[in-house]
Amino acid sequence: MYLNHLKPENAPHGEEYCTSMIGKNTHRWDGPAKVSGTMEYPSDVYVPGMLYGAVLYSPYAHANIVSVDTSEAEAMGAVCLTYEDVPKTVYNERSVSTPAGTYRDRIILPNKARHVGEPLMAVAAPTEELAYKALHALKVEYEVLPAVYDPEEAMKDGAPQLYDKIFLDEEEITVKNNVGVVRNIYEGDVEEGLRQADRVFEDDYSVGRIYQAQLEPKAAVVKPEVDGSLTVWGTCQSIHACRQLLGFLFQKPLSKINVKKMPFGGGFGSSIHVNTVIPICAALAVKSGKPVKICNTREGDFYSHNKYPTKFHVRLGVTNDGVITAGEVKALVDFGAHQIQPLPYMGCTAGWFASLYKYCGNITFEGTAVYTNKTPCCAMQGYGNPQVNFAIESMIDEICNEMGFDPIEFRLKNIRTIGDEFWAQGPTVRSIIKSSGTEEGLIEGAKKFDFANRGKFEDKTGKIRRGSGVARGFHASGTGGPKPGEVIDYSFATVKINEDGSVDVLTPVTDHGGGTWDAIRKIVAEVLQVPLDLVGLSPADTMNTGYDVCTHATRGTYCGGGAARNAALRLREKLFVMAGEMMDEKPDDLEVVMDPKQHQGCVQVKGYPEKRMTINEIARNAWIWSRGTLVHSESYRQKNAPPCFTVHFVEVEVNMETGVITLPRVLIYGDCGTPINPDLVKGQLVGAFNRGLGYTMYEWLPTDEETGALLNKGLFVDYKTPTAYEMPKVDNLQVELCKCYEPSGPFGAKGIGEAALASVQSAISNAIYNAIGIRFHEIPITPERVLEALKEKEAQA
Amino acid sequence: MSKHRITLTVNGEVHRLTVKSNELLLNVLRDRLHLTGAKYGCGIAECGACTVLKGDESVMSCLVPAVAADGWELTTAEGLVTADGELNVVQEEFLEKSAVQCGFCTPGMVVASTALLRENPDPTEDEVRDYLRGNFCRCTGYHAIVEAVLAAAVDAQNGGRL
Repeated sequence: MYLNHLKPENAPHGEEYCTSMIGKNTHRWDGPAKVSGTMEYPSDVYVPGMLYGAVLYSPYAHANIVSVDTSEAEAMGAVCLTYEDVPKTVYNERSVSTPAGTYRDRIILPNKARHVGEPLMAVAAPTEELAYKALHALKVEYEVLPAVYDPEEAMKDGAPQLYDKIFLDEEEITVKNNVGVVRNIYEGDVEEGLRQADRVFEDDYSVGRIYQAQLEPKAAVVKPEVDGSLTVWGTCQSIHACRQLLGFLFQKPLSKINVKKMPFGGGFGSSIHVNTVIPICAALAVKSGKPVKICNTREGDFYSHNKYPTKFHVRLGVTNDGVITAGEVKALVDFGAHQIQPLPYMGCTAGWFASLYKYCGNITFEGTAVYTNKTPCCAMQGYGNPQVNFAIESMIDEICNEMGFDPIEFRLKNIRTIGDEFWAQGPTVRSIIKSSGTEEGLIEGAKKFDFANRGKFEDKTGKIRRGSGVARGFHASGTGGPKPGEVIDYSFATVKINEDGSVDVLTPVTDHGGGTWDAIRKIVAEVLQVPLDLVGLSPADTMNTGYDVCTHATRGTYCGGGAARNAALRLREKLFVMAGEMMDEKPDDLEVVMDPKQHQGCVQVKGYPEKRMTINEIARNAWIWSRGTLVHSESYRQKNAPPCFTVHFVEVEVNMETGVITLPRVLIYGDCGTPINPDLVKGQLVGAFNRGLGYTMYEWLPTDEETGALLNKGLFVDYKTPTAYEMPKVDNLQVELCKCYEPSGPFGAKGIGEAALASVQSAISNAIYNAIGIRFHEIPITPERVLEALKEKEAQA
Repeated sequence: MSKHRITLTVNGEVHRLTVKSNELLLNVLRDRLHLTGAKYGCGIAECGACTVLKGDESVMSCLVPAVAADGWELTTAEGLVTADGELNVVQEEFLEKSAVQCGFCTPGMVVASTALLRENPDPTEDEVRDYLRGNFCRCTGYHAIVEAVLAAAVDAQNGGRL
């Protein structure tokens, strides 16, 4: 009986979980721990003897540190960390691009503040209270320098300069006029394309600076081990990127740094890079020789990462037949005081723009990214995609209104779809589209939403004006391509059959909450035909897993799941060899099937199912006969980055007296290929709609130009995010998953996460136009801006 | 800093503690009792991640000085689970409706929803949306949460444990 106890009656979910679970809703494996508050996040980690760290944030937007005095803080028993104590290695917190495409401009604690909230010093003490007292006891003398907050001002001669020198890979670069990066991409001939057009549309669009507002402020715990190695728990979207950076900064072999994979309280891109507190925490741990924990305050967190604001100047040429003949986008990016990779940001922004429509192959993107004395910007769900989508999809709506095209037909005529080239993740990441849900979303969605009967704004009257808008978008699933590009992309998985036939999966891939780990478990269960509840997820860290670049770029399921699928496939071959020996059959003649009655995966002879062994019997025999463990590890690169598409239909009601906008009806089509877990896919689409609603109508982070501080002071009180109350009612928001299958994805799956946000903003804005005839070129569209625009329109009339 | 002797009953266990005047209930729960259900999200009662039950009433523990909580009977998300691991109806429905993503808001959201249903066993959708506006969730867009709370109300009326 020993190790022979896997019976249906012992299974927590019974026979229900003993069929194919791909495409069915299953409970998250981490759900019970999360609903009961027992899941451990980085900010929950407690290590005996640990010190609590606190960070001194710059009160000035631009200042040199003239002198520091730590004596009082040290006399209180605190360990103090200043510029003098830290390695002077210049780094970029983000490492998903190749080194040749990575600018480096920061050190752990600088002697010059370049934005309000810049970490300048840190302390650690046995209690949090003492740490904060010590922080207040630090004496710092500053030489305050003039600061610049506007990117256009920053580029002028005589503007305050943030940097003299930075590095691109190993090369020293002189920064002129605060221009951090210029990225121009040309394909075809835009001027010729515009000449062939009957109309040329030209306009400006602008998207504001917002904050990721992930619920867990960034946190780290670092424990120095007796052998000189470091153990790290942190808010990491990539454990391997964190390890690499700490190795680089502290000049340790990677084998001396172990970063533990953990759940964390939301990312939305803000932990693709290694969060600023992690190297600070490591430096404190190294200096004190003790474990140290730092949790950002919410205020500190607001100042540590924002979303890229961007201004666009767009030109599109269109023929009277409704063909877009050329597209040109000029982008000005205000990325703040440090580069967390505006170079790939602009490459991707170019890619999202270029891959939306065909433009007859005539495409120009000219991007300039500028240093300002503000919080550094980083990824936030889309990496330029929602930004440029707002510009292009707004202009497409304008074109349709002006030239009388049907917005559905016009889009269908110009989209990139199956068979077309796609290079959304930048010009070096190219593949051919093999699946597309855009057509279903546009055609079926328009019918379901009764979009044709939305009317014209000219015919709408009264205090409440109702209008409908459509927009479409997409994102890439990962950054893979047939050839390696500027973004590193490969993943890893180990799959192991235990002595009782249950299975462990080991993956370095992190899960922000979207359910990536569940998808990976389900993919493995499906390949091996093992009941899902027999598939466990191993605790993972950087020492027991191969490299995975990051859970970013909507790649968790497609790339991480792809690696797991391949590892499980190779393991299945090994299983067939072993089973073949036990059953006296050729491996090629065997197959796996799930047997609900036995609650087991089984290996059987193809066409002769009477001859079979359960995986439990095989694994148990392998143990008894000392035949070894069935295990396979796979480092795997997906050679595509298939687009996952979305279409948003939105109905708004605009109150002409208050400027307040509500959303009576929303219809979302999402194409993720095969939805591994449909409810979780819908959760991505609804969650992204909520964030898009905030982005479009509420959220922005203006800077107080007197002080350089955020006007909201880093508090949620003055940073309005849409709550349960502002969302459309449950029945008024409908989500449909497109019937799509991606041939290159695990069981037909691709991503969805970032696609889910891409077209929310433009759909809402287009609906507002349909309601009141005002085109907003800038978000957020707050009630104040609506009223102002209404007044202006009235004055013009 | 003066110190105070207080008694807290947390998830049915009585704790006698000496706390400083400036010590917050959230920190006592997390750092002294090592309970992870109440989370720090903002520290100023804006996000609701620290929500706990005082009796049947929801309280944001980040704003309560521990000394003011003397004698309170508290329940955290951990305490909504029975000794043999059975979840309450709200927790069950959060799983059933896929109302959990990153999960950082979830314990506070579960506690606040439990408080709502104990106070108002049959809320309308609008009442749920209004009650939960103090609990931030950046992941889910709230719909699955609202659906879970409405379903839990039905479960509780049918005898499920709240």
